[in-house]
Amino acid sequence: MTSTHPSMPRAIAPPRAPMTERRRETIATVVVVTGLVILMEVLSRFVPDYVMPSPGTVLKAAREIFFSDTSHVFITLARLTAAVAASMLLGLMLGLVMGMKPKLRPYLRSLVVIDTGIPALSWMLIAVFWFRDPEVRIFFILCVIIIPFYALNIYDGIRALPKELIDMIESFRPSRWHVMRYLIIPHIVPYVFLTTKSVIGYAIRMVVFAELVASAAGIGSRMNLAQSTFRIDQVFAWTFFLVALNIVLQVAISAIEKVALKWRPEVSVR
Amino acid sequence: MIQDIAMIKSAAQAAHPPSVRLHQVYKAFGGKTVVDDLSIDVAHGEIVALLGRTGAGKSTVLNLVLGTLTPDSGTVRVAGLDPNANFLGLRGKLAVSFQTDRLLPWRTAVENVELGLLILGRSKEEARATALSWLERVKLGDAADKYAHELSGGMRQRVSLARALAVDPEIVLLDESFSQLDHVTSRALRADFHRIAREFSKTCLLVTHRIEDALDMADRVLVLGAPARIQLELTLTDGQRRDEQLRARLHDEIAAALGGEEHPTDPG
Repeated sequence: MTSTHPSMPRAIAPPRAPMTERRRETIATVVVVTGLVILMEVLSRFVPDYVMPSPGTVLKAAREIFFSDTSHVFITLARLTAAVAASMLLGLMLGLVMGMKPKLRPYLRSLVVIDTGIPALSWMLIAVFWFRDPEVRIFFILCVIIIPFYALNIYDGIRALPKELIDMIESFRPSRWHVMRYLIIPHIVPYVFLTTKSVIGYAIRMVVFAELVASAAGIGSRMNLAQSTFRIDQVFAWTFFLVALNIVLQVAISAIEKVALKWRPEVSVR
Repeated sequence: MIQDIAMIKSAAQAAHPPSVRLHQVYKAFGGKTVVDDLSIDVAHGEIVALLGRTGAGKSTVLNLVLGTLTPDSGTVRVAGLDPNANFLGLRGKLAVSFQTDRLLPWRTAVENVELGLLILGRSKEEARATALSWLERVKLGDAADKYAHELSGGMRQRVSLARALAVDPEIVLLDESFSQLDHVTSRALRADFHRIAREFSKTCLLVTHRIEDALDMADRVLVLGAPARIQLELTLTDGQRRDEQLRARLHDEIAAALGGEEHPTDPG
C-alpha cells in the first residue's frame, strides 16, 4: 500500500507543454506596447497636446504620413541599405586584411580604434564641411560609423578560427584562394550576421540623425519639419515607424541568417 | 616466411623508390633534441606504424613529413619531393587523417569529402560523384547530407577518412586517427581502413601511442624512444596479425621497448 504525501494533490494534472521562448517574447512585447499606449493615453489627458498627444492623434498622424510621405521612408531605406552594404564590404575587407596580414594589422587596427573614438556628431559636422552633395554626406557619415564594427568583428572572427581546421585544409595543399573560399569566408559569415544585427538599430538612428543635419529628404528631414511646425503627433508617428522599421529589419536579417546558417545546431543553455 | 616477405618487399622497393624517406633527420626545439638521427623508409603500398609514448617526437616526425616543419639536418622526401620546398607540388599526393575529425561544420558529410577534390580542381559533378562513392565505401552512403553535428564520433571519423582517401593520395598519414574512439568503433574503423588501404595499395604512415592500432594495421612497427630514434623494429604479416599468441608476445615486446610503462591499449 502506498501512502500519499499531504501536500501532493490527489489527481496530478498532465504537465503543460513548456512555452516556447519566441511565444514568451511575443507576449512580453504585447504587454509592454499595451502598457505604453495606456500610459500615453493617461498622460495625454493631463498635459497639453504639444507635450503628449493621445494614441488616437498619433495614429491619425501615422495614417497621414503613410499616405503622403512614403517616398521619404524609401529614401531613408535606400540610404541605409547602400551604406550598410558598403560598410559590410569595406569592413569585411579591412577585417580580412587585419586578420591575414600581420605586418599591416597594427596600423589598420589603430586606424579603426581611432575611428571608433570619434563621436558621430563630429563626423556629421565634418561631412557638412567636406561634401556638398547631401547623399554623399549621409553615405560618408554612415560608413565611417559602421565600418569599424564590421572590421573589428571580422578580425575577431578570423582570430577565432580553429587552428585544427587550418591544419586540416593546409594538408590538402590549397592555394590562398582555396583557403579563403572554403574556410575563412564560411567561417566569418556568422560574424557578418551578428554585426549586421548589432548595428542595424544604431544605423537607423544615425541615418535619421544625418538626414536631420544634412538633407531635405528622408525620415530625418520630415521629423525636423514636424518639430519646426510643432507637430509632435507626427514626431511620435515617425518614431513609431522607425521602431517598426527596426523590428522588421531585425526579423528579416534573422530569417536570412536562419537559412544561411542552417548548419548551426540549435543550442539552449539551462 | 618473414624472409619471403622481405624478398617480396625488396623487389617492390626496387620497382618504386620509397614513398616516404627520412634520412639522418635531426630536429631540436629551443636546444632540446626532439628527433635524433632518424632514418625511415616507407615503401610504396606499405603500412608503417610509428609508435611512441607522449613526447617521443611522433608529431614532429609527422609535421616533417607534411612539410610544415623543416629538419635542422638530414633530408625528408615524400613521393621524391621535399615536402616543405615543394608544398604545392605534393597536392593530391599526400593526405592526412587527424586525431579529431576536423570536419567543416558548415558543410555536409558529402561536401566535406568533396573538399580535397575541389582543391585539386575537379569539377563539382565529378567531386560529388567521387565523394558519394567514398562515403559508400566507409558505410555512410545514407548520411551524405547530414552536417557534422548530426553524426556520431565514429561516423565523423569515417567521413574524415573518406575525405583523406577521396583525393586518391599516394600516401596517407594517420595521426592517432583511431585513438579518440571507443574500442568497438575504433576496431571496426581500423579494419575498414586496413581493407581499403590494401585494396588501393596506399602507402600509410600511422602515428599512434596505442599498441593495438599498430598491431592491427601495420606491416612494420617502429617503436620510437625519446628523442625520436628507432628503439625497435618489427615486421608483421596479415597472417601473423591473426595469431593471438604471437600478438601477445609482440605486444609485450613493444611495451618493454616503450619503457615498460602502462600504455593505453585496446583490449577489445
